Amino acid sequence: MTNVTRRTALGLGLSAALMVGTTGRSYAADPIKIGFPANLTGNAASLDAPMLNGGKLAAAEINAAGGVLGRPIELVVYDTKSDATVISTVGSQLIDSDKVVGMVAYSDSDSVLALGPQIQKAKIPLITPGATSPKLPSQLGDEVFLACFGDNVQAAVGAEFALNKLNAKTGYLLTDIGTEYTTLLSDYFVKTYEHGGGKLLGKDSYKTGDKTFTAQIAKIKALPEAPGFIYAASLVDEVTLILKQLRQAGINVPVVGGDGYDSPLLLQVGGKAAENTYFTTHSYIGEGATPKVQAFMTAYKAANKVDPENAFAALGYDAVKLMADAIKRAGAVDSAKIRDAIAATSGFDGVTGTITYRPGIAVPDKSVSVIGVKDGKLMLASESAPTFIPEP
Amino acid sequence: MMARAVTLALALVLMAAIAFGAPYVVSDYMVRIILLIALNSIFVLSLSLSNGFTGVFSLGHVGFIGAGAYLSGILTLTVEQKHSLLPHLPAFLNWFSLPFLPATLVAGVLMTLLAVIVGYPLMRLSGYFVSVATMGFLIIVNVVLINASDFTRGARTFTGVPLDTSLPWVFGWLAVTLLVLWRLVYSPFGRRMKAVRDDTIAASAVGIDVLKTRLLAFAIGAFFAGVGGSLYAHYLGSFSPVTFYFAMTMNLIAMLVLGGMGSLSGAIIGVISVSILSELLRSVERGFTIGDVTIPALYGASQIVLGFIFILIMIFRPKGIMGERELSLGFLNSSAKIQFKQGEVK
Repeated sequence: MTNVTRRTALGLGLSAALMVGTTGRSYAADPIKIGFPANLTGNAASLDAPMLNGGKLAAAEINAAGGVLGRPIELVVYDTKSDATVISTVGSQLIDSDKVVGMVAYSDSDSVLALGPQIQKAKIPLITPGATSPKLPSQLGDEVFLACFGDNVQAAVGAEFALNKLNAKTGYLLTDIGTEYTTLLSDYFVKTYEHGGGKLLGKDSYKTGDKTFTAQIAKIKALPEAPGFIYAASLVDEVTLILKQLRQAGINVPVVGGDGYDSPLLLQVGGKAAENTYFTTHSYIGEGATPKVQAFMTAYKAANKVDPENAFAALGYDAVKLMADAIKRAGAVDSAKIRDAIAATSGFDGVTGTITYRPGIAVPDKSVSVIGVKDGKLMLASESAPTFIPEP
Repeated sequence: MMARAVTLALALVLMAAIAFGAPYVVSDYMVRIILLIALNSIFVLSLSLSNGFTGVFSLGHVGFIGAGAYLSGILTLTVEQKHSLLPHLPAFLNWFSLPFLPATLVAGVLMTLLAVIVGYPLMRLSGYFVSVATMGFLIIVNVVLINASDFTRGARTFTGVPLDTSLPWVFGWLAVTLLVLWRLVYSPFGRRMKAVRDDTIAASAVGIDVLKTRLLAFAIGAFFAGVGGSLYAHYLGSFSPVTFYFAMTMNLIAMLVLGGMGSLSGAIIGVISVSILSELLRSVERGFTIGDVTIPALYGASQIVLGFIFILIMIFRPKGIMGERELSLGFLNSSAKIQFKQGEVK
């Protein structure tokens, strides 16, 4: 009995392997392959899944309009499971087996750091839609480009928004020291806020995954003078808890943060406590958005049956369009030429703003949207570029 | 005796051929899969020493792997990298940078010491208690890695580790692991380990020092875990504490249990089957077309199917693929001497 089962199982396994081996797709014109590894399962999934949907929408639009250089583009998608080992394996699979000419990858800096050494070695250009660390290009090399602004820019806009729009000359800083993103964001915020004449009454920290913030809140309450606002360099899971506990303790000053808040969870979990919260992000997607964003929202809803979940959907869309645009400008399906074309991008008009790379700088100058929560809804509070940008 | 030596020698020759020949024959992707299989073999073999042969079902193995990875990573960073990435590193660590091999050895030796310190109280425990206690060790290592941010950058990605791990390195260390464990497991000491596993009271009644036997198995396993951790760190280049936690623990234990807990070749067969299966499934879950039938992408399906296969194997082969037997060449029948048939349910 056992033997038969084993043999049958072996047979099934072998035929499955054969199936995989012989499955090939054929197109009329050979498609241009763009690698799109994404963390579709695991802890980065709520950002990467909308990003992939946005990317697929862009690819579908490009192919409907005749493709690039007379050839359709194909996104080669793998789930990298938010796991560094899988990321490195998939990286070589894309480069070596799928022979992609470029990659669009990830919403977080950690995953880009795991993939970086390989694309650098293989000389394949990579555009990251959502990893905002401005240090990535200098840490990895000249094949890495950001389609989004750097954390130094969004932190600067957050600080200037507090100084000029909220009129808060004193502030308090709360930092999640558990991630690269929040740590960098916090450093850049301090530099701009103090450069602009603001005064920090105090600083405190916590770690990703913390659930109670009683100690941190008690310190804020004990201050001789209440701060004009609180800058919380946080991810959405923690900031919703921080907001609830702050409001319960009777602290109702504005709370300002970065694009880590940009998730439906802010309103769903934060509820009433989310009032008077502001965050910097890539694009305002919602009622009263610009016509370009509205067109994107309609197309996204038609393709995916849901509204865009957050700005990462739009960033994925922009990054794929930028890659296709660069291939067209390069005039050839050649990684080196595509890299140079990306570097030469000037005035690329995307849903999340205009992308221009200054010579030698792979982080674009983009305007930053500040979104506020008012009466349980998101509204565009301001859109600007900072006057002072701290060094990355 | 002869047959065993011949089998082992053939395995070593085969490994050498793969280590030096593979990069010329197969693609970089395949080289990576082979490298990961060899690396995981080091992890699972060293795990089998305590969990399989000595009956100490440790859940703390990944703690040694993680600590070894961070330790060797800190040692091999260049001095400039140390200043920019780890500005608060104590003075005694920040002025030098070790080459790959010495750093790997240091990681192995320090993990052995750590295992002796941790194991001295823990190896008195048996059964479920030792599993829970070693899991406590894993949690402590994780919390220390996150909080000792002067050394580890905390929960943030530890990056910039030179990518030195190549096929010859991994296969070299795998050969060392295999030789040492083979000598150990099929020696009088190996019989003591199995005696301790099968009946602790009987073993101590005939004069076997249970604590010493377990501690030695645990510490030697930790040495190779530290070495493997170093290889892993120099393969990935960047990692964070979450890389070395429950997910990795479960993965290694699944490979070990699937292959057979009391067999060195079983451990390797477990690694090979799980690795190849998850790679195949990862490609299949992207969706495919056969003729006119198109199967859409179902991301996450690979984990479900893999779990299902684990259940099936445990139902039909509860002792794993190899059980307690070793793979040997069929025509050299004398190798049957080393087979231990106890507990073999037909």
